[in-house]
Amino acid sequence: MYSRWSRRFAGNSGNNMVLFSRQYGVLLAGLSLAVPAGAGVRHTVNDSNGLRGWDFTDGDIQIELIQRLPDQTRALFMNHAFSREVIEQLALSCMFQTIIRNTGRSGSGQPVAVDLSQWRLHHDGKTGPVLLKEPLLASWSDADASTDAKLVVRWGMFPTEQEFQPSDYNWGLTAYGIPPGTEFNLEVSWTEGGTAHAATIEGIVCAPDVDKLK
Amino acid sequence: MMPRFFIRTIILSCSLLAAAVQGGQQLTPVPGKMPAPDFALEDTEGKLHRLSDYRGKTVIINFWTTWCPPCREEIPSMNRAWQILRNEDVVVLAINMGEDEDTIFVFTADYPADFPLLLDRGGEVIAQWPVKGLPTTYVIAPDGTIAYRAIGGREWDDPGFLELIRGLVH
Repeated sequence: MYSRWSRRFAGNSGNNMVLFSRQYGVLLAGLSLAVPAGAGVRHTVNDSNGLRGWDFTDGDIQIELIQRLPDQTRALFMNHAFSREVIEQLALSCMFQTIIRNTGRSGSGQPVAVDLSQWRLHHDGKTGPVLLKEPLLASWSDADASTDAKLVVRWGMFPTEQEFQPSDYNWGLTAYGIPPGTEFNLEVSWTEGGTAHAATIEGIVCAPDVDKLK
Repeated sequence: MMPRFFIRTIILSCSLLAAAVQGGQQLTPVPGKMPAPDFALEDTEGKLHRLSDYRGKTVIINFWTTWCPPCREEIPSMNRAWQILRNEDVVVLAINMGEDEDTIFVFTADYPADFPLLLDRGGEVIAQWPVKGLPTTYVIAPDGTIAYRAIGGREWDDPGFLELIRGLVH
């Protein structure tokens, strides 16, 4: 069986969060364990620090992006042997605390897999890839980052590819390589039980740098 | 008509799934009786721990760092699980990735852990395991094979988890 669908979703907060989702692939005939679940994006704001979040769910996947101030990133990496230039490069790369989870709520028991190299961001009429840790690490000399410091990036940034069984989740940094304060749309893709899905989360905003804070 | 072997496969899959799901949490069964990679690491007290020395016991191996929030969150429940299981041939080894004794010492003031905290300063041991993110935890059966895996934090003193772990011991 081959299926394909798309839909538009308006968030509860009244912000128009457009969700365009596609499914391709073979559905497992006879396995009616999976109940199609609702999809959507929930806006969050941390009352204590004002940082905004985008919490996307569709089927068994949950993707949560939480703004990270450039100063928070500076503080993390200044504790390790990075050059000042590399710390600024990371701090100004629009980082988000990112949590990806297989909620398992459908009961299908299917794995969810992501490949960040397939994600795309759209802003100001341009399209670009997510900043991945492998090329970042490869670009740094020993003077830019010590071996120990590179371990922090190796384990602190989100894996480029990962599979999640139900209940599994991972937590890490994703970076988008655009200036603080920039608004962008993020095209995310994943597979669930081998079936490909994609959606666009609109209106994500990189945290502003300290000079823009009131 | 659905082939009989397909129906059996579905029933078997559902049984395995149900066995590993406890209280909304899940430990993923690792098929194939994959041998756990051996290692020898010192803990924060300077004592050497070699995984193969624990053959015959169930070993919970947790990869973590102090700066990883879900790692911090699960340590109290792991400590409670360790207190419950410590006299039942169950060992907990938490392998810290890349940090030193001083950092861990400060950390344990807020997050007490009574089980051994091992130091993998250069990340050589974690590189031998199929770990992609932190925390990741493996439950090693007494025969030295990987029985279960959890990516992300769990509430380790969940009674269902304790039963699964005891099931490996016996």
